[in-house]
Amino acid sequence: MSEAGVVQDEGRRAAPTERASDPVISARGVWKIFGPQAEAEKIIGTEAATLPRAELRERTGCIAAVRDVDFEVWPGEVFVVMGLSGSGKSTLARVLIRLIEPTAGEIRIAGHDVMAADTAGLRQLRRGTVAMVFQHFGLLAHRRVVDNIGFGLEIQQKPKEQRLDRARKMVELVGLDGFENHFPDQLSGGMQQRVGLARAFAVDPEVMIFDEPFSALDPLIRRDMQNEVIRLQKETGKTMLFITHDLSEALRLGDRIMIMRDGEVVQQGSPEDLVGSPADDYVRNFVQDVPRSQVLTLRWIMRDATASDDLSGPTAPVDEVVRDVVSLVADNPKPVRVMDGDRMVGVVDRVAVLRADGGRS
Amino acid sequence: MSAVTTARPAIRARLPHLGRSAQVGVVLAILLVLFVLLENKFPWPSGLIYPLNKRFDALYEWIVDNQNSHWLFLYFFNHIANFLDQLVAYLNGVLVWLSWVGVTAAATLITLRWSGRRVALLVCGSFLSFGVLGVWEESMETLALMLSAVLVSLAIGIPAGVLAGRSDRFDKAITPVLDVMQIVPAFAYLMPVVIFFSVGNPAAVIATVVYAVPPAVRITALGVRGVARESVEMAESLGATRRQVLFGVQLPLALRSIMLGVNQTIMMALSIVIIASLIGGGGLGDTVISALSFLDVGLAIVASSAIVIMAIALDRATEAAAARMDASRHPEGGLRTPRFSARTLTAAVFVAIAAFALAARAFGIASFPDTVGVGDFIAGIINDVITWVQDPTKPVYPVTSWLGDHLVLWGLEPLRVFLSDSPWWAVIGSAVAIALIVSGVRQMIIAGVLLTAIGVMGVWGPGMDTASQVLVSTVLTLFFGVALGIVAAETPRFEQTIRPIQDALQTLPQIVYLIPIVALFSVGRVPGVIASVLYATPVVIRLVVVGIKEVSPAAVEAARAFGASRAEVLLKVKIPLARPAIMLGVNQGIIMVLAVVIVAGLVGGGALGYGVVVGLQRNEFGDGAVASLAILALGIVLDRVTRGNLQRRSI
Ligand SMILES: Nc1ncnc2c1ncn2[C@@H]1O[C@H](COP(=O)(O)OP(=O)(O)OP(=O)(O)O)[C@@H](O)[C@H]1O
Ligand SMILES: [Mg+2]
Repeated sequence: MSEAGVVQDEGRRAAPTERASDPVISARGVWKIFGPQAEAEKIIGTEAATLPRAELRERTGCIAAVRDVDFEVWPGEVFVVMGLSGSGKSTLARVLIRLIEPTAGEIRIAGHDVMAADTAGLRQLRRGTVAMVFQHFGLLAHRRVVDNIGFGLEIQQKPKEQRLDRARKMVELVGLDGFENHFPDQLSGGMQQRVGLARAFAVDPEVMIFDEPFSALDPLIRRDMQNEVIRLQKETGKTMLFITHDLSEALRLGDRIMIMRDGEVVQQGSPEDLVGSPADDYVRNFVQDVPRSQVLTLRWIMRDATASDDLSGPTAPVDEVVRDVVSLVADNPKPVRVMDGDRMVGVVDRVAVLRADGGRS
Repeated sequence: MSAVTTARPAIRARLPHLGRSAQVGVVLAILLVLFVLLENKFPWPSGLIYPLNKRFDALYEWIVDNQNSHWLFLYFFNHIANFLDQLVAYLNGVLVWLSWVGVTAAATLITLRWSGRRVALLVCGSFLSFGVLGVWEESMETLALMLSAVLVSLAIGIPAGVLAGRSDRFDKAITPVLDVMQIVPAFAYLMPVVIFFSVGNPAAVIATVVYAVPPAVRITALGVRGVARESVEMAESLGATRRQVLFGVQLPLALRSIMLGVNQTIMMALSIVIIASLIGGGGLGDTVISALSFLDVGLAIVASSAIVIMAIALDRATEAAAARMDASRHPEGGLRTPRFSARTLTAAVFVAIAAFALAARAFGIASFPDTVGVGDFIAGIINDVITWVQDPTKPVYPVTSWLGDHLVLWGLEPLRVFLSDSPWWAVIGSAVAIALIVSGVRQMIIAGVLLTAIGVMGVWGPGMDTASQVLVSTVLTLFFGVALGIVAAETPRFEQTIRPIQDALQTLPQIVYLIPIVALFSVGRVPGVIASVLYATPVVIRLVVVGIKEVSPAAVEAARAFGASRAEVLLKVKIPLARPAIMLGVNQGIIMVLAVVIVAGLVGGGALGYGVVVGLQRNEFGDGAVASLAILALGIVLDRVTRGNLQRRSI
């Protein structure tokens, strides 16, 4: 799969309405307004809250970094948050585990009411339930790789043996065998972030939060690391909240993507939702360079069969991406029958496929 | 307060195009006119003097009466004094027990262990030189005093610095205090310390601590703040407690900075060793001061050389140790584990030290071999040179005396007269106006109040005398500093040549500058001025160099692209863009100059510094305390007037 590769359909989860279990993360009406606490709290719910960010800042001196954000992340899902620089992604990630104190909102993670948690409860949540991976790795320069990886366990005051044991396993998991006793600055950027990954996995969290973990890496390494995350996610089935400003990364990793602008959610949905029907120009700008045929499934380009259609052509599942049926229509002039299970739900003809494959929306 | 102040807004309104320097010029012109018209008509009115010195004398009497009965002394000051006394005595005892063999071995091995071979060699040579110069015992007294002060300073400074690094609120609260502590010349601390602790080692330690704590706090705070936010967040995201964040992340990552703080603290402590001996600190400082009072400049220079040698040795040792704290993370040659564990090595060092000390006792060489008066010999030569220099029939004296006389005749005296004989309200008014122009309303108010306070305390005359010395020195410092700074920034070779000289000059205690200069120029106001210029110029040079070098290459290239010559680039691009750095140079320079000018009270500089000297030597506590307060006030005024929009002074 080339450039803006896409997560395959078997990776997709069911639509929210059909989910059996509770969400792992749920955020309701989350706000973060930087500025004096009293001042900031007054803003929410007033007309000032609806002002554009710049204007609010001018009037009150407060910066609304996260505004009324709602979302859910389901078990085993990779949920990507995307937006330009300054759109509030990092703030949102930190607010979730109260590294930054939210101004308002409801947050639940793995059944814990985060907002109601006291210091001890919060610490418990951070020790066992959630782990973060950071943009600049956040490694401790004075500790060797194993001791960096075991840092989370050290904080939990696990015995040294157990710590080292687990850390060594993690070293293996992320493919750093042989580098256990190096210091971080003896490693390349990619390897350093592997240490960051291993440190997060070491505490065996239910949820992992990644804050632009690969944006400090060069493109080839980034690609490697993305594959690594995909692999680890498959192997461990962890729920992940992944922040990026790189669309191709979002498309590669994300089961669902949330796009933010100026602290607000602009659109949430599957990759094909975003590419197929961008909510506004902001999203359209984001997705305009994406090769549509690699993202869109037949569902997006099929039409109902008419009487004139020759229905003896080949079949393809409805959630196949367009790119994969190109060879089919090339070999066969008849329209492709689009199947949802055993049921035909529409047809796709050559013109539609070629248009979707060539076009960039 | 004055016509000048009230006229300010009007001037600004009418002449909006006047630059700041021009505005300052206008203020000074008005003052000059007032001086010419009203010379000597408005001395500080005696009705406006509050006899604060009498109050201090009364306070001192009360202290003497209550020293052994009042709870404040019984449960507070006396405890501190006793503790410090014992600390110094204890360290001294350890050094004596070790004997010169053990001490030299200790210094050498400890530096060998933590700083490296070359530094260890330097340290070994330095310690031996104390013996050779015949000042071993004095050096050890100084070392004990200095170590006590450093220990106390670090015990206060590191926790406070950590707190300031972690809490914005605490940082905000102590910053102004630290600012003031660093502005005020150490000389001004002596008097109050003596009043509460009387003369002796504890007083010397406390004065040193007051002087040495600010850099310890600042550098530690800077180090803790310098730890990447992400590293702290990382630990928090893993559920670390505040303690775990501190000990697992912030302190280890700030260790190098903290070590540099230790280095600075030691340097500060050594730089006031001589002054501290005025209030009972023994050792080398005492040797210097008493040699000076017998006009035995040779001995004074020998003893101060020992201080300088100690400063250089400890500076290099701690600096190298700080550098190795980073290097220890990169074991050279891959990851081989060292043959001995760190703990074994450390233990070996201490066993070896003890072995050396015991051996020295066993073989009866515990006291330094009599080096046939090498120190006396050197002192004799120096004294001969000085006699020659001061001989009017020889070529040097006529030159220095001509220089000195002209400096007094054309610089110091006219300015002193100008400041003290102008109407007092006009002087305050202009200072206030300049503070407003340069630094804004808040600083203006502070400057006005404090300047008035100097008059109210009854030391307007000496205050203006000191101010005139400071101004003359500052002008000279800026002249040389900016000129040399520009040259150094433009010619890398020149910069490389002067850098070691700058470094060496900065390790010298202020008063060490004074001694040879007194020999050259004889006592009076001149040595203070010249010494202060020597003391402050390197810092101004450095700030100017940094400022000019930091000018963005893009701006320079753009100017070149438009065909500007090198001189044009310098004048039109670099210097204007380096102005903030140069302003900082003015501010720092003036504070450094003040410190030396005050110390020069010891060698005939007169004015406020002399007030402190008299206070200390003749037990005129009230007068001494008033002079100290006036120095404090003047320091803050000079800082505020020149601080500009600086938020915070650098370390
Ligand atoms: N501590 C703070 N105090 C005040 N404003 C802040 C603070 N932290 C972030 N902001 C502001 O909040 C907004 C969102 O910042 P945030 O770091 O969350 O953006 P981001 O989407 O992560 O951007 P980037 O891609 O650059 O990391 C920005 O306008 C930023 O200036
Ligand atoms: Mg960010």
